[in-house]
Amino acid sequence: MSSVLFLNLAWQISTLALVALGLAIVFGKLRIMNMAHGEFVMIGAYAPVITSSMGLPGWLQVPVCLLTVALVAFALERTIIRHLYGRMFDSLLATWGIAILLREAVELIFGRGYQSVSPPISGTISVLGADYPAYRIAVIIGISIGFAALYWWNARSKVATRIKAMVGNPDLAEAVGINTARLSAGAFVFGCCTAGLAGLILAPTIRIEPMMGLDYLIRSFFALVVGGLGSLEGLGIGAGIIAGTQSVLGAVASQTYGYLAVLTLSILFLWLKPDGIRSSSR
Amino acid sequence: MSKSTTKLLASAAVALALGTVSATADIKIGVLVPDSGPAGLFGPSTRNSATLAAKKINASGGINGEQIELVFADVGVPPAEAAQAALRLWKGEGAQAFVGLHDSAVREALIGRFGGQVPYVYTPVYEGNSCADGLYITGETPSQQLAPVIPHLTETEGVSKWYLIGHDYNWPRDTNALAKTYIADAGGEVVGEEYVPFTVSEFDSSLQRIKESGADAVLITLVGGGSVGFNVSFAGFGLDEQAIRLGTLIEENTLAGIGADNANRLYSSSGYFSSIESEAAASFATDYAEAYGTDAPALNGLGQSAYEGLMLLAALANKAGSLDVAAMDAAAEGTTWSTPRGDNTLTGRHMAQTIYLADGSGGAFNIVASFEGVASSEACAN
Repeated sequence: MSSVLFLNLAWQISTLALVALGLAIVFGKLRIMNMAHGEFVMIGAYAPVITSSMGLPGWLQVPVCLLTVALVAFALERTIIRHLYGRMFDSLLATWGIAILLREAVELIFGRGYQSVSPPISGTISVLGADYPAYRIAVIIGISIGFAALYWWNARSKVATRIKAMVGNPDLAEAVGINTARLSAGAFVFGCCTAGLAGLILAPTIRIEPMMGLDYLIRSFFALVVGGLGSLEGLGIGAGIIAGTQSVLGAVASQTYGYLAVLTLSILFLWLKPDGIRSSSR
Repeated sequence: MSKSTTKLLASAAVALALGTVSATADIKIGVLVPDSGPAGLFGPSTRNSATLAAKKINASGGINGEQIELVFADVGVPPAEAAQAALRLWKGEGAQAFVGLHDSAVREALIGRFGGQVPYVYTPVYEGNSCADGLYITGETPSQQLAPVIPHLTETEGVSKWYLIGHDYNWPRDTNALAKTYIADAGGEVVGEEYVPFTVSEFDSSLQRIKESGADAVLITLVGGGSVGFNVSFAGFGLDEQAIRLGTLIEENTLAGIGADNANRLYSSSGYFSSIESEAAASFATDYAEAYGTDAPALNGLGQSAYEGLMLLAALANKAGSLDVAAMDAAAEGTTWSTPRGDNTLTGRHMAQTIYLADGSGGAFNIVASFEGVASSEACAN
């Protein structure tokens, strides 16, 4: 029991952290409340559907996913998002519209029905005395390595500082030689690509349909509310608390209590500690 | 726009209007379909099936010698709005009868709005326990889907320990209340029962409970996306080796989402599958493919039920000699008619029909058993 619960926890926390990463970058760094975040997860999950319908080999799923998401994100950034940096409420409305547009577009292409994707690794393996899906184990390990690399890069790179300067004072940032157009477009596209990648990775384990994005937006948002914006640690803490509460209460009590607790936690944080547990200076 | 073009358009419009008038049918029937909302997936197949039924009815002489025309409204909306949409068809467009595929809350709102003044056929799978003047029901109720199937699976699969999981609302709860009696009668036991909120999209803890319960059969009354997510994870954890699954609302779309890899030993019980191998079902599927092409929305038990509803309406109105509710109510009991599902009889305002048990292993439904003339335990006084 306990080892499966532990593995379920690891799975829920790592996947939520990956899904929420893009939202944390776009919301935390660019001050764009991206309501279309879940739709990028959805587009990523459709990548295997694209490759199989075009008869492409399976290894092309990753490039097809990243290319599709990056193209959509770049087009949206250049046409709409770039006018909205720092305008949080306007960006919320605009991206909500974009979310609807993306859902309808995917529905037009692939239809409203469910799609299914086979996992690259099937079967279960015995870990810590429990039979657990092999694919999930691989994903947990992959995400852990990915986040470690990101943490290491983030600590050394000046990109984060430049983005902060850009959002804080765009004119001054331009004046000291920061190419703000390129930087902001890059950050937005990177954020969306992580969401797409999350969708691709989750695809064999979830339902795939045009409306699926909403689930991921809401859970990511809760994780950010609790963890706080602007740091990888905050993201990890938020994902841990939200996914952990749902998993543990879902296992010992019922799913209803788990969801109730997540909602209560989010409301309490918004009310009493709106900056979350770890917030960077704004 | 030049004058001549305007004239041309105006005369075209007149021609169109005249054309419509000359083709206008004598009887309008309101078809209430879910174009939006959670059941929006079933809108297109419902419309297509209803249109095929209207063609068939008109080709065989219409209703009491009069041709019929369908008028559609979206009822994938909250009950009050759905009742408004139905009212527009009824009072605005002059619909004289209704066929509806929607949830139970909408049904109750419509019963209130119609007040027994207009015949109304309700077609989807539902929990039972609905009676009203002028209301006729073709959808499968839990007793029909489970009474023959649970003993059959007990025997063929040798299962006895059932775990019941469903979404938290009345259809799953009512289904499971009945299921418990059939399981007990078949000598089995219920080792777990669980209801999850619609907002839950991961089922890890439920799957763990199923594993620990030692269940060898799982009765699934989750709907739509929840059912897909549950079944995908169920197979991912290798639980398909431990237990068979039986669903009472797993149709072709849901199975497509679950995928061939995850459908091992997944059974579904329904009055219709697109793979039914009877002459009537095959010719219906051929007509559907001819009319809407091979890329058309997949046939499924929900969408196809609109066809059943319209055929019942025609059979009943022809038997009663009118679309008057009192006359139809008086004639209702014992009405028989044949459809792709098989030979049906109206008993207690519900449809006694053939129930099919299909195995979804491999990603396509394969009918493994059929039970003819299964009557519902639901019965409305006439």
